[in-house]
Amino acid sequence: MSTDVNLEQEGVEVKKSACYFCHQNCGVLAHVKDNKVLKIEGDPDFPTNQGGLCCRGNIALKHLDHPERVNYPLKRVGKRGEGKWQQIPWDQAIAEIASRLSGIRSRFGAEAVATAGGTQRTDDWARRRFMNLFGSPNGFHNAHLCWIPTFMVETAIYGWCPFDLDLGASRCIVLWGQNPGASGMPEAHHITDLQEKGLKVIVIDPRFTETAAKADLWLPLRPGSDLALALSWLHVIIYEGLWDQQFVDEHCEGFAELVEHVEPFSPEWAAPLTWLTPEQIRAGAHMYATNKPGNIQWGTSVDQIGRPAGATMHARALLRALTGNLDCPGADLLTGPSQDYLTDEELEGNQYLPEEQKAKQIGSDKFKLVSWPGYSKICELTKKTWGKVPTAEWMCEAHPPSVFRAIASGDPYPVKALLISATNPLASYGETDVVLEALRSVEFMVACDYWITPSAMFADYIMPIAGALERPIITNSYGCADFMLTSQRAIQPMYERRNDFNFWRDLGTALGQTDEQWPWKTVEEAYFSAIKPIGYDVESFDEFVERYRFHFPEREYFKYKRQGFATPSGKVELYSSTLKELGLPPLPEYVGPSENEIDHPELAAKFPLVLTTGGGFMPFHHSEHFQVKDLRFLRHSPFMDINPETAVELGIEDGDWVWIETARGRMKQRANLTSGIHPKVIFTQRCWWYPEKDMRDIPLGGQLGGALESNGNILTCTQDDYCDPYSGTWANRGLLCRVYKVEEAELKEVI
Amino acid sequence: MARYAIVMDTRRCIGCHSCTVACKVHNELPTEMVYNPVVSDGPHGTFPNLSMRFLPLICMHCENSPCVDACPTGASIQREDGIVYVEDKKCVGCLSCVMACPYGARYMNHETGAVNKCNLCMDRVDQGLVPHCVATCHQKARIFGDLDDPTSEVNRLINENNGVQLLGELGTEPHIYYIG
Repeated sequence: MSTDVNLEQEGVEVKKSACYFCHQNCGVLAHVKDNKVLKIEGDPDFPTNQGGLCCRGNIALKHLDHPERVNYPLKRVGKRGEGKWQQIPWDQAIAEIASRLSGIRSRFGAEAVATAGGTQRTDDWARRRFMNLFGSPNGFHNAHLCWIPTFMVETAIYGWCPFDLDLGASRCIVLWGQNPGASGMPEAHHITDLQEKGLKVIVIDPRFTETAAKADLWLPLRPGSDLALALSWLHVIIYEGLWDQQFVDEHCEGFAELVEHVEPFSPEWAAPLTWLTPEQIRAGAHMYATNKPGNIQWGTSVDQIGRPAGATMHARALLRALTGNLDCPGADLLTGPSQDYLTDEELEGNQYLPEEQKAKQIGSDKFKLVSWPGYSKICELTKKTWGKVPTAEWMCEAHPPSVFRAIASGDPYPVKALLISATNPLASYGETDVVLEALRSVEFMVACDYWITPSAMFADYIMPIAGALERPIITNSYGCADFMLTSQRAIQPMYERRNDFNFWRDLGTALGQTDEQWPWKTVEEAYFSAIKPIGYDVESFDEFVERYRFHFPEREYFKYKRQGFATPSGKVELYSSTLKELGLPPLPEYVGPSENEIDHPELAAKFPLVLTTGGGFMPFHHSEHFQVKDLRFLRHSPFMDINPETAVELGIEDGDWVWIETARGRMKQRANLTSGIHPKVIFTQRCWWYPEKDMRDIPLGGQLGGALESNGNILTCTQDDYCDPYSGTWANRGLLCRVYKVEEAELKEVI
Repeated sequence: MARYAIVMDTRRCIGCHSCTVACKVHNELPTEMVYNPVVSDGPHGTFPNLSMRFLPLICMHCENSPCVDACPTGASIQREDGIVYVEDKKCVGCLSCVMACPYGARYMNHETGAVNKCNLCMDRVDQGLVPHCVATCHQKARIFGDLDDPTSEVNRLINENNGVQLLGELGTEPHIYYIG
């Protein structure tokens, strides 16, 4: 039966809201009466989704009042991990948390308080502001795994990250480790539209994904070997004469050094490293370099390959420059930060953090590019050219694995409090064992979340956070775009849920931060102050959403002709002086995948298969939604992909539970036999946990929500020598593993 | 009079299951009932020479509907515009229609005891809206329209792309067409 409600009844308003289940924030129209959402639908006038909603978008009303949502502040009353909670008022929770943080600060210094985030679905400029005013440099996200290192490497080379694709006029797009068919619906449909008009699509992916199936060229490389591919494309473009001589002559520095540097990296050199043929490699390089203008679309994969990640981003960035595919119509645009509205960085209050505290940021001595040393350097350059700087939250963070290790070990100094917001680190951060040790041993912990996740089980307080339909949203690519899409709350938050902005502001206030330091009482007030400089004739943020909703500045191509590039030389630095100054290679130097059969033959003998984890798959997002049955029915259990040929050798049949094991440990998923993957490659789904299992910690007789059973991060590696020297990002992909059947006796433990 | 149809463009479908979920959520279907499954056709071939497409399935709203013919109580009804639906109150749950349907598009609703199926969101269609599965499709891989209107998008797509009906040889004349 249709459950359509009568929307014609008196008092129904249509609110211009947004989906909040990934950071695309697809436009949603919410039909609301008396602070109750009656119905939602995709907003046909929203430029990205154009009325469409994915699986997740459709369950917004199920999520809004799901029986397992956290609706009130909870205080731990049992043992840590026991799951005994007392409901307390918001203000009491804030006062008690403030008192604990204050005590830790006076005993160990402000840097002993760390905060962890998840994806960009938070008011994290407010978290940064809180941390700056509190005095701690130790905030972080899973930023390293998702675009941020790419942003900073590209900004070092050409003064901003060219993430805004002028796809309408493009002739070729390279989807490098990206599968919009499963993780970026709006992008997928635009690409499909343009393919019908002749856009060539190259997909670089070990898996025959939804997107690869529709590509003009699919390059199924060995997981983690992207650097060899990128270097060999540079070689082909230079040595086969495909580079844009005029652009390189006029706007680039360091070409001679690059020519010499890439000489050895022929397709014949790269073939055994990438498991591609020289012909496949050449075909890709030619397709991209000769179908101009063209784009290289970022995907998370390269951010997640660990040790070679930075060099890969570096080499990939040079491809755009050599082909002149920068800031011209149809290419990847260097929009720079918004000149019209206040960026996130301008709301963060970075001026409040003293220099001596910046110097204490954990990991910034080892991994300089996305922490204070590199960020400060990048800011000097972008400030000079653009007048503004990138967002510090995300682009300038403590090194997450080093913070988790510091919590457990006290090295380099004690970290005693961890506040997690919109993240379930046990499922989503690398090396689950390391995270688990930290969560079990941290002195004081707070979780801001929708759910009591396995990680939140260790919290002393859980704060109820407003979710989809309950919060105003500005969508502008981590505060680094020149445009913005805005959305309003459909309803005020239900129960005692609040925006995380309110949590950080209230906590700051309780710790003595002043109203002058927090000049906005609500998120809407803050957002109104951000949009005010644009000059629209509106009196509030909501009015802007209702009347305008978007701000797209007039597009200016070839900005570099007017202002140069935001680099020390004012040119694209093929030989990067900024990276060199940070002690990093000025040209991308070859390093093998974090674990590989050539450099590590003994390991490969024990773990003969190559593992990739972390790819997105519908209907879940990261570690979310496993408790929403209207999604879970699509995938009740976790599945790993294995080639049938390999499965036969290992005695594995379709649907069998199998162990996947790396040098870190093992976890189990079910076998999906598919010819869409190389016989030597295994793909596992990420971040699995089971909300239906006993949530208590294991020593207390529980199962910790199954967070240690099928979770891809049990296999990943975050040791320093597996991390990228540029950014510190760790290795989720390109690792070595083995696979074997779960024994009959062990099956009882499996759901 | 209109004759409603959906064209499934398999060139555009990416198997994201948005239609599956939208249908389920908006129609409040029990977990085991899925009116809109999307099946993977592939990968076929040997790595790396592969092909794959996705087939969104749904009640075919047949012109000559065997389910309506099989129903002993008159609960299965075909409207003049071609939409086939079940009137719950008249359904005795005998499953004759379930057995008669060559597309497996009918399901016993164990909560109500009646057989249910996609009714093309006829309440919405009557208001001039498209079915939920069509509205939610990011890829615009489902196109809803009127076969009796010679200028309609569905007719254009069927004619230009040699649209096919599933199990067309049975003579059921489905109102769901596939192109690709």
